Amino acid sequence: MSDHPPTHGHHSGLEYQPAMPLPNGKLFLWLFLSTEIMFFAGLIGAYIVLRFGAPAWPSTHDVHLVELMGAINTAVLIGSSITVVLALEAARRNNAAGAKGWIILTFALGCVFLGVKGFEYKAKIDHQIYPAVPRSAIWEKADVNYAAAVRLRLAELKTPLIANQKRTEEENQQLAVIDQIIMEIDAAEKAMREASGSDDPAALPRARQQLLLLADKIYPRASLHEDHGGAAHDGRQAPAAEHEPAHAVSTDHPQVTLVDTEVTAGEADHGAHHGLNDQHPWLKLPIMIPGGNLWASTYFLVTGFHAIHVIVGLIAFACLMPKTLGVAKAGLIENVGLYWHFVDLVWIFLFPLLYLF
Amino acid sequence: MPHSHITDAPNDHDAPMGHPQGAEHAPSGVGVYVLVALGLVFLTACSYWTYTPFWPFGDNLAIKRTWMMAVSCTKAMLVIMFFMHLKWEANWKWVVTVPASLMSLLLIIALIPDIGMRMRYASHERLTYAAEQPEREAADKPGTAKKPAEHPVGE
Repeated sequence: MSDHPPTHGHHSGLEYQPAMPLPNGKLFLWLFLSTEIMFFAGLIGAYIVLRFGAPAWPSTHDVHLVELMGAINTAVLIGSSITVVLALEAARRNNAAGAKGWIILTFALGCVFLGVKGFEYKAKIDHQIYPAVPRSAIWEKADVNYAAAVRLRLAELKTPLIANQKRTEEENQQLAVIDQIIMEIDAAEKAMREASGSDDPAALPRARQQLLLLADKIYPRASLHEDHGGAAHDGRQAPAAEHEPAHAVSTDHPQVTLVDTEVTAGEADHGAHHGLNDQHPWLKLPIMIPGGNLWASTYFLVTGFHAIHVIVGLIAFACLMPKTLGVAKAGLIENVGLYWHFVDLVWIFLFPLLYLF
Repeated sequence: MPHSHITDAPNDHDAPMGHPQGAEHAPSGVGVYVLVALGLVFLTACSYWTYTPFWPFGDNLAIKRTWMMAVSCTKAMLVIMFFMHLKWEANWKWVVTVPASLMSLLLIIALIPDIGMRMRYASHERLTYAAEQPEREAADKPGTAKKPAEHPVGE
């Protein structure tokens, strides 16, 4: 506030400013948005530094992220941004019915955004790609710990089936599938044990191929099969130049060759992206996605907080709808609109970072 | 109380004089907003362009990412200037937005040493449980699987 009270009749060229040259509500909203800038900068910044410092990061298709969905949601949010400004324009012209129509359309577009986001979340959850306590179903590498987790899950499934004396045909088939996978784990672990006692330094990495094969059979990562699927299904061998060693940061001699394993897995599955968990949804075996845990944590954190902001915006629009949105409510519409534009702004950066990078 | 010509409304044409410093009138009508929205959709397609076979610069991730961030910043500026009306606001806009933006930048920079570079000098335990990724996959991805020599054990 000014230190000098207004006096009439002097300084005709100057004008008294009681405070900041904007309404209190708008000032509050902008101060709130400045804190929101820092809030989302923290989240997005954490995502960036965690990702670019990670030893491995899944491709978008590895974690069932579809770029087109993100692009559609971007277009939906941009569309909702323009409907908000059109509502504001209508309110300023005292066209209450028009303003209400644009607000309802904005609300509908926000619901579409949430619907698409929910559809995307379901794809992740159906494939067990989400953070969990004490640990998720995602494993960072196909090692003995991963094999133990798969074995534990199979035991959980097998015990009640064995105890049931009156098994149905379907349950017998389930038991056969479980026994087949257990046999493969046994073979892989036996190879690992033999290799650990061997003098050949390449024996252990070779034995680990069997575990990699099993992990790929359970959850074939799209990025591998997009690269090698053609060779797998055409019956052609992958070029020798592509047989690059995989790197295992935890081992001293990590010369595991994945390409043959991947090709074999594709052939074994008779479908590049259809793993055991897809063929038998009841299995829900642990999956192996390098970097998948960090991806899931950051993805759900960032998009989850953004979705919460979308929901808050929708509540605000729902509160506006019953009102008469004439010129008297233009300021209110502008403030809600500012918040909504900020939500759009955050998504503008999230879309390329999450879907395209 | 005397009338204080608050010009936060782009179409506040009835304010005859005395606009706050830096404040201007916005163009009337919805034409500008529609143009900006079309521009935003076009820029979204420009981002998606990097993911299509029509992208002319191959698989160079640095070019792709630089392009996408430039497009995102352009989109953000369009939203801030036109939809959020900051183009026509007075100088208070700098007071509210610049410190917050600087703090955000500092926050991200502060995360780099301990978080972003956490795998440069990692403990045995961290390396044991770290993710692994085939080098050929890692070659065109940000999460690079470095060779053991690049992962000196610091603890």
